[in-house]
Amino acid sequence: MAIQPQFYLLLSAGVFCAGLFGVLTRSNALMFLMSVELMLNAANINFVAFSFYYGNVTGQVFSLFVMGLAAAEVAVGIGIILVLYRNFGDIDVTGPVTMRR
Amino acid sequence: MAVFDYAPAIAVLPLAAFALALFGGRYLPKRGAIAGIAATGGSLVLSLWMLVTIALGADPHQQTLYTFVAGADGVASVDLSFGIFIDQLSALMLVIVSLISLLVHVFSLGYMNDEGETGLPRYYAGLGLFTFSMLAFVFSDNLLMSFMFFELVGLCSFLLIGFWFRDDAPSSAAKKAFLVTRFGDYFFLIGVVAVFATFGTTAFVGEESFIAMAEHAMPGSEAAVPGVVSDWLGVVGLSASQWFTVVGLLVLGGVIGKSAQFPLHTWLPDAMEGPTPVSALIHAATMVAAGVYLVARMYGFYALSPTALGIIALVGGFTALFAATMALVKQELKQVLAYSTISQYGYMMLALGGGGYVAAVFHLTTHAAFKALLFLGAGSVIIAMHHNENMWDMGGLKDRMPVTYATFLAGSLALAGVFPFAGFWSKDEVLFETLVHGLGSTGGTLLLLGYAFGLLAVVFTALYTFRMVFLTFHGDARTDTAEDPEPVRWNVKLPLAVLGVLATVVGVINLGAVKKIIGESNLFLHEWLFHGAEGLNGEHYEELLHDFAGYTAAELPGGPLAPAAVSLGLALVGVGLAYRLYGGADPDPHMLKLGSVRTTLMNNYYLDEFQVWLAMSVTAPVARVADTFDQGIVDGVVNGISSVSLLSGDRFREIQTGIVTNYAALLTLGLTLLVLVFALAGGWF
Repeated sequence: MAIQPQFYLLLSAGVFCAGLFGVLTRSNALMFLMSVELMLNAANINFVAFSFYYGNVTGQVFSLFVMGLAAAEVAVGIGIILVLYRNFGDIDVTGPVTMRR
Repeated sequence: MAVFDYAPAIAVLPLAAFALALFGGRYLPKRGAIAGIAATGGSLVLSLWMLVTIALGADPHQQTLYTFVAGADGVASVDLSFGIFIDQLSALMLVIVSLISLLVHVFSLGYMNDEGETGLPRYYAGLGLFTFSMLAFVFSDNLLMSFMFFELVGLCSFLLIGFWFRDDAPSSAAKKAFLVTRFGDYFFLIGVVAVFATFGTTAFVGEESFIAMAEHAMPGSEAAVPGVVSDWLGVVGLSASQWFTVVGLLVLGGVIGKSAQFPLHTWLPDAMEGPTPVSALIHAATMVAAGVYLVARMYGFYALSPTALGIIALVGGFTALFAATMALVKQELKQVLAYSTISQYGYMMLALGGGGYVAAVFHLTTHAAFKALLFLGAGSVIIAMHHNENMWDMGGLKDRMPVTYATFLAGSLALAGVFPFAGFWSKDEVLFETLVHGLGSTGGTLLLLGYAFGLLAVVFTALYTFRMVFLTFHGDARTDTAEDPEPVRWNVKLPLAVLGVLATVVGVINLGAVKKIIGESNLFLHEWLFHGAEGLNGEHYEELLHDFAGYTAAELPGGPLAPAAVSLGLALVGVGLAYRLYGGADPDPHMLKLGSVRTTLMNNYYLDEFQVWLAMSVTAPVARVADTFDQGIVDGVVNGISSVSLLSGDRFREIQTGIVTNYAALLTLGLTLLVLVFALAGGWF
């Protein structure tokens, strides 16, 4: 017997909230990046769950795309963090506010 | 007709001369004068060709050259176009303008080139542009085109009056001329718009022209009222004759400004600051005639309105007298001529208002010849006197400048209206037409008043003219310069001789005073203008005047001889008076005896001061109030809106903290709120 889809959704919502909590509370840029990954993967869980439920592989293909996208995003993100460190000597995202005006 | 294919070239030749003088004048022989002479000579030949073609029986020619706005097909569509219309009237005027322009170009060789003036390419470019615009104005086939070239001649007048722009007086005179005529043209512009609104066209020619449509729209006309006109009359709520009077008077505003009629005449005497050939061409013979010509061009329209005609006659008659009185006391040669010009254009307006269409055109023709002659003669005297214009510094020039004297005398006799010179015939015709229509018409009192003014002005005209002649040429020389004047060359004498002959004999085209003797059919100009285009000829105008304006010519016992004798007698009285007062070897300044009257006349009835007062004390405060309203209320609203945006923008900027976490929190908050709103609105709970 297959697991009901609402459990997948609950899992996905939990993971998403964990990511959101990380984004809102952490100030370390690496933690920020990891939280964003969590939110993306919450979306992936939804894709796969519904794909399985409806018997349609499109959702699964999309989740593969999202993974590729996430990998690229991490590469860019790490690059930004490196530059951040070089310029400000820190990777605290609340620190650099020189462009606010 | 193949002849008329060359008609546009009449105006284009001077335009080419303008472009040549403007861009290459420095490299041209005589700094562009030769190009100008060639171009105006070409125009003259072509104009004469047109005149002869029409005289030999060709039909008047109308042709649309270029439509710059084509209306969509529909009821209220309007076409704006340039076109040419050559009929008896415009062919005659084309010849006058190109002839005077040619002679003035030749004269300029003596007055400008030989005197070593600088900036000559600019001068000849101005003359070329002026000649182009004036010729194009004359052969316009619609009122809008007329208006455009009317403005362009005004611009040329401004440029040429201000030719010596480094001095204060010419540049200020140029501005004055521009502004005063522009004031009149403002009304003209509204008039053009009114014609468009009423008739949907401004064409002069044909059944679809505004003149023909106006005639059809009059009560009592046999033709059907055009739909567009009756619609518009319903909008303005006036009867056809009332509304046409209003439109006619609006257009008349431009005429009064350009033809220097009271009260907008003040610019013309100041315009004498320009070079004398310019005064002869623009401010005596041609541009000032534009106003009178315009009324003659659309005479079929004015003939429908007795009120407008009465006002034209009264303004004209009053101006004739009023300007003549001021000319009596002036000391500068050109000032006398300037006031004389205003006065003579008053006569033409009097003739037009008095139902004398032919008389007005006749006086326009003769006046162009003798007044251009007098101005060029004055120019010759001014060269001789080293640019001193004061007549009290002259005297005795008659033996030293015989050619100038002889021609100037011919012009003066013509101006004074002495038999048999040109001015006698035309001025007499003006007065005669006004008299018979004043006596014969029911509402002729205004005309008789104008006639009285005109008759009185005859004495003054003769007096000031011969005061000028005696002071300048007779008696003893009063200064060393007058003792030994500078000689003038052929290029001054030739135009004087041509115009001198014309001023003497041109009256032969319409010997109205003796028509009982020579027969009506030998009044050439009368015959000429009575056989014009359909609906645009003197015969038709006479019917219109009779049917709609109530003008009827009274039959005088003895015909035109008695009035002619009266005006000739008055002219001779004036000449005799001038001889008594100024004919001696060393005349006294008799006008000084007039005391305060002379002071008033010298100051032009304080009209200049009045106009300055009007501008400074009435218009300027109104303008200041309007400025306060504009700055405070209109700009205030705009400025208020901008400062509200600035302030709120400044406040809202504060939420941009630059901290990523805050943005993320706001995003989340917004999303949550959005979901809540949808949830509540969608009834999930």
